[in-house]
Amino acid sequence: MADRYSFSLTTFSPSGKLVQIEYALNAVNQGVTALGIKGKPTKPLAQADAHANFLPTATNGIVLATEKKASSPLQDPTSLSKISLVTPNIGMVYAGMGPDYRVLVDKARKVSHTNYKRIYNEYPPTRILVQDVARVMQDATQSGGVRPYGVSLLIAGWDEGVLSDEELEKLQAGETSSDDDEDEDEDGNKKKASGKTGGILRGGPMLYQVDPSGSYFPWKATAIGKSATSAKTFLEKRYTEGLELEDAVHIALLTLKEHIEGEMSGDTIEIGIVGPPAHHLLGMEGVEGAQGPRFRKLTPHEIEDYLTNL
Amino acid sequence: MVGKDCVAIACDLRLGLQALTVSNNFPKIFQYGDVLLGLTGLATDVATVSDLFRYKVNMYRLREERNIAPSTFANLVSSSLYERRFGPYFVSPVVAGLDQKTGKPFICGFDSIGCIDFAKDFIVSGTATEQLFGMCESLWEPDMVRLDLDFRTLFPPGIFFYMMILLKNGQLNHDVECSTIMHIICTSDLNFTNASYQSTFATGFDEFFANNLNLLDDLQCPEDLFETISQALLNAVDRDALSGWGAHVYIIEKDKVTKRLLKGRQD
Amino acid sequence: MDTLVARYSRPTYDETVTEDMEEELLDPVASGLSLKFAMPPVAQPSSWLRSATDDRMNPDCPIKIAHGTTTLAFRFQGGIIVATDSRATSGDWIASQTVKKVIEINDKMLGTMAGGAADCQYWLAWLGMQCRLHELRHKRRISVAAASKILANLVYSYKNMGLSMGTMCAGVTKEEGPALYYIDSDGTRLAGNLFCVGSGQTFAYGVLDAEYKYDLSVEDALALGSRSILAATHRDAYSGGFINLYHVKEQGWEKHGFSDTNPIFWKTKLEKGEFTNVTSELV
Repeated sequence: MADRYSFSLTTFSPSGKLVQIEYALNAVNQGVTALGIKGKPTKPLAQADAHANFLPTATNGIVLATEKKASSPLQDPTSLSKISLVTPNIGMVYAGMGPDYRVLVDKARKVSHTNYKRIYNEYPPTRILVQDVARVMQDATQSGGVRPYGVSLLIAGWDEGVLSDEELEKLQAGETSSDDDEDEDEDGNKKKASGKTGGILRGGPMLYQVDPSGSYFPWKATAIGKSATSAKTFLEKRYTEGLELEDAVHIALLTLKEHIEGEMSGDTIEIGIVGPPAHHLLGMEGVEGAQGPRFRKLTPHEIEDYLTNL
Repeated sequence: MVGKDCVAIACDLRLGLQALTVSNNFPKIFQYGDVLLGLTGLATDVATVSDLFRYKVNMYRLREERNIAPSTFANLVSSSLYERRFGPYFVSPVVAGLDQKTGKPFICGFDSIGCIDFAKDFIVSGTATEQLFGMCESLWEPDMVRLDLDFRTLFPPGIFFYMMILLKNGQLNHDVECSTIMHIICTSDLNFTNASYQSTFATGFDEFFANNLNLLDDLQCPEDLFETISQALLNAVDRDALSGWGAHVYIIEKDKVTKRLLKGRQD
Repeated sequence: MDTLVARYSRPTYDETVTEDMEEELLDPVASGLSLKFAMPPVAQPSSWLRSATDDRMNPDCPIKIAHGTTTLAFRFQGGIIVATDSRATSGDWIASQTVKKVIEINDKMLGTMAGGAADCQYWLAWLGMQCRLHELRHKRRISVAAASKILANLVYSYKNMGLSMGTMCAGVTKEEGPALYYIDSDGTRLAGNLFCVGSGQTFAYGVLDAEYKYDLSVEDALALGSRSILAATHRDAYSGGFINLYHVKEQGWEKHGFSDTNPIFWKTKLEKGEFTNVTSELV
């Protein structure tokens, strides 16, 4: 029976399923685990970044982490890379089929320019990029002659908010009383800070998962791949609101440690972070208003440092 | 035109076919959320382009769930115009708005194929460009503040005089309020050379100043900007045969946009 | 002193005009007052001048001549009304809002000015001189017919050399009554009751034709002249400024003001309820 609906063209089965997509998800669930943890966005960070170039102490952001598994000991591990930069502030990681991922990274990079940078002369906010990538993946479920992508993605980025400092302050004051959302805007709901965007107006770190079907979800912390379920259970226990970036890296490594097969080292673990602007990566100096990328990959050396402190 | 914590954009109302004035109620400024766009040029293109950007800005708002920022909109205008590089719209747009996050004034202008001209003072466009440049160059100054009559009577000249001495001696901090007052002192036509003011007001100054700081809230920066841009426009179009017949002026403040009609010459 | 001057400068009216008397005046060369203009050193000065100055056919021409005007004059029972705007434009640039486009040829006759400002000013002044000479020679005032013909013949002799004039000669004589002639640089010379000349002529005709009657009272005639110019200044980009209003009578002309259109326009709109196309309030 199942065979009759396993054409490369995604076709509904009589029960209303698109089995091709389920097969794609199966491919994802056999992939190497990847996880992401988001820190809480706080005002002092945004303010400090805007006015000074020093690294603020209260670092917040996102961690993306995964295991890098070489299929053979002869492989050169330095050439293997699973976390990719998309825009200066957005990066992503995957679980599932490596080649499909590479194609998606290409498309994500391209689409962030054609659909956005070239029009607005600025990079897309995370959700916009996520939507664009999700559309690429959805197209593959509805077009002839193609198969769905066999990957799930974790996309992490930082959005520059549009609210002024005062408005942010007001928002945060309101939040402590009524936890996010709801109708908390007394002053004429001119700018609704809470929508499905998870606060595009407020800005800050954004973490999304995108599946082969093209659906996407925002997360505080999540995992995809082989041991996604148990990793998520682990994260649920460990995650707390207002997590600092350092702590998030720590938790990410602990989570990986629970599920990893080989040994953990700077060469076998890959970590990408969304944090304060990394001015040392800008490659230039003295340009007014130029900001370093917020998304960067940790070097094996940095990872080793974290591992020794584990 | 940029003012202190505010921007203004203004247009005349003429629609003409060469010498023939077809309409005297053809506004050329369009509002998209917090951003204002002025379009001069071929009337059919003014209509088409204004509709095009209304569509684009609405799509942006739906997609991103936020209003477009002036600088982002400027880049959208630029890229949209360049798309028609080899068959351009015959318009020269002007964009004005306040940055949502910082509240900083933003203005810029474009040629018909999208080259952006960022300016921190003023942008002009249309048939009266040369006249407008002349008017703006002479009338515009940074951080324009109007010295209201009320304000002058509430702050007697002696107070200013004494403040000048204090400022000179470094006894007053150059914070925002003081620099604003300094600005008024420098631009006002009051005569400070009269030494008798010194003794009259010197003693009570500290108290007076402390009690009347709130007066600074009433400073009419947007009003002065309105006056400046209006005079610039009206006097410029009065020297251009193809412009005039009334004008619209928009003053954009932090959370307020004021639109006014100027009854200009009708010849 | 004034009376002395008046006595000797005033022409006599008692004689009638005969055609042969005028003849020598019709030809400026014959009258011995030919003006010697420096000509461009080319084979065909006229065509060269045309290409250098005609800015409708050649917008990039080096010599820009001030164009754009509304002038009108009409005959009625009380004499002639002459009215003009006062705008001078060079391209789109408004060079002046206070041009006097009614030229006082002498104290009995008026000329209007449309087209090239310099051409009109120069030749109408010259015409004034010819008229005075006629008076001195013949001891009587020149007829409007004769004066206009002097001008028409003059411009005809410079035909196709780039002169640009559209002018009206208005005067009242015993013999002719109110007389009005239109002369342009093509050499056209027409007698008529009513003329409008200039870029705003159509708009002025619109108002004038609708309301014109020969039996108009002086007051109504002045108002109509003014209103016609106002309409033209409103719709024509190249007309505007002030309304220059004259009434020509048998005893001589009388000036009725040089008044800014702006207050007149708003008065007309707000008090008489005209010009409803103009918005005076923000909607």
